[in-house]
Amino acid sequence: MSLIRAGWRAFVITIRMRVISTWSYLSWLVFPMLFTIVGLYVLSSGGASSSRLVYGVLGGGLIGYWSVAYLDAGNSIQDERWSGTLEQIFATPTPIWVILFGKVCAGLVFGLVSFLPNAALAYFGFHAVLPALDPWKFVISLGVLTLSFFCIALTLAPLFALWRWAFSMLNGFELGVYILCGFMFPIAALASWAQGVAGVLAPTWAVRALYASTVMQGPHDFTLWWLAAIGLSVVYLAGAYFLYGLVEREARVSGELALA
Amino acid sequence: MPAIEARRLRKTYKTTRGVFRREKVERVALRGVDLAIEPGELFGVLGPNGAGKTTMTKIFTTLLLPTSGAATVLGLDAVHDQWALRRRIGFVFGGDRGLYWRLSGLDNLRYFADLYRIPPEVTRKRIPALLERLGLAGRERDRVELYSRGMKQRLHLARGLLNDPEVLFLDEPTIGLDPVGARELRVIVRELADAGKTVFLTTHYMFEADAICDRIAVIKGGEIVAEGTPSSIKKVVQDQGVVEFEVVGMPAERVAGLRGLQGVKSVAVVDHELAQVVTIHCSSPADVMTQLGLVLDGMSLEKVSSREPTLEDAYVQLIGESS
Ligand SMILES: Nc1ncnc2c1ncn2[C@@H]1O[C@H](COP(=O)(O)OP(=O)(O)O)[C@@H](O)[C@H]1O
Ligand SMILES: [Mg+2]
Repeated sequence: MSLIRAGWRAFVITIRMRVISTWSYLSWLVFPMLFTIVGLYVLSSGGASSSRLVYGVLGGGLIGYWSVAYLDAGNSIQDERWSGTLEQIFATPTPIWVILFGKVCAGLVFGLVSFLPNAALAYFGFHAVLPALDPWKFVISLGVLTLSFFCIALTLAPLFALWRWAFSMLNGFELGVYILCGFMFPIAALASWAQGVAGVLAPTWAVRALYASTVMQGPHDFTLWWLAAIGLSVVYLAGAYFLYGLVEREARVSGELALA
Repeated sequence: MPAIEARRLRKTYKTTRGVFRREKVERVALRGVDLAIEPGELFGVLGPNGAGKTTMTKIFTTLLLPTSGAATVLGLDAVHDQWALRRRIGFVFGGDRGLYWRLSGLDNLRYFADLYRIPPEVTRKRIPALLERLGLAGRERDRVELYSRGMKQRLHLARGLLNDPEVLFLDEPTIGLDPVGARELRVIVRELADAGKTVFLTTHYMFEADAICDRIAVIKGGEIVAEGTPSSIKKVVQDQGVVEFEVVGMPAERVAGLRGLQGVKSVAVVDHELAQVVTIHCSSPADVMTQLGLVLDGMSLEKVSSREPTLEDAYVQLIGESS
């Protein structure tokens, strides 16, 4: 019970720190908005096929969602390192995974908020353009995508805590996911080895289902795609279990949490 | 059972230097420390920068693992029983980092109260009591960035006391405070110990340790070089006297000459504006005074005096500080 309260409080505090930080509005509000406007522009230019339209509008939103959901917890860990609080929260009787769980949830909330304009567009605006959009399948796919983002962010968050240099490397991973998971174009356009890598990334399957829910041309196998995304996410969590154990030990060997 | 105990505690940091050709460096921070601190004691660890004070504090507070040896607090192993131990201890590190500056003092305390898994009904009473006790009542809704340095440090202390810890660890808590703020904090710390808490305090201010600690360990280069009450540590220099004088220009061979005099234990030379202040610890000040003229022939000495040793002299001699 007290652990749930601790996780909840970590969530609330992370949200509050973001809301009062003017710079962070750039990442979770302004940039995603810009993406959406670009998407709208593509939409209004006319003549594009409906599947191109979908990528134009949702793609930008998905990039925004992913980048906020994935990096927000990492950024917040980095902030805590600068302010010297990372070590303080680590030394409390609350395991660090509970605190990071709260932080990752906060990142998802901001990511979803930044994605809402796009989702709304897909629901209301697109219905005329895309009569095939299936609201239920769309929402479930978005839910599965959110779960996969959550699991990836929660799994990688301890690495942000442990190694300062992990930050730049994990930033690269952010970009890789845009391209490999088919946010902007179907992964069929990728080299076959890249498609193989994409196959083990849970968002690939969720994004595929999400796009499929907006256009008619099949064949679509939603159940399989959803299960693939959920299954892979669960595998990541198993990795998280290992990584959190590593952080609990390794941070106490090197004393790295303290360094600014 | 001691409240805090260390047995042959060692810590070696392994770091790498350089970016391309990474070179492994080992730095020994603690070289076999033995300590036993009784419940209710205010115990001071006194030593210069880099002596290993923070490392020792972090091992006891479960933030670091020792390389070898044992550390126990309240009978709990600081290595393996960290979850049980963290609920029963508090810690405060010096400096003004470690708080959420953009949140209010109250929000800081509420957050940490939840992370310390304290029941809300306890928190509701304890936070106002701590704010009152530490002179922060009335300012708790202001953001921490608006607090003075002393208020921040008292907020730190309030955070360290949230779980009503049996043992409190304070790592250089007065660093960066103005003299008034530092004294206020020392008074509070002394009161906490008088109220029954075990307090482990590190400092590099000799007078601070002398003023409030029941017992002191002097640490240097990761080793304890003296331990006891402040007055027993003064005994290190008890059968000695001190001769001091000022001189302009003190060549190394003359210092060596002074060191060679009979009964001289140590010679420290400290720059003071254009001149140097020379402090000689010796068994017989009168003999040294008569021989000064021989060794320092032709130099003009000012303010020559001899006096009784103080705790500071004991500390300087133990630490071997000379420049
Ligand atoms: N995280 C770390 N990695 C490598 N070396 C460290 C680390 N922390 C401290 N040290 C080294 O260990 C020694 C003791 O440091 P510390 O415990 O901070 O001393 P003090 O608190 O007495 O100033 C110093 O030589 C310091 O440079
Ligand atoms: Mg220190």
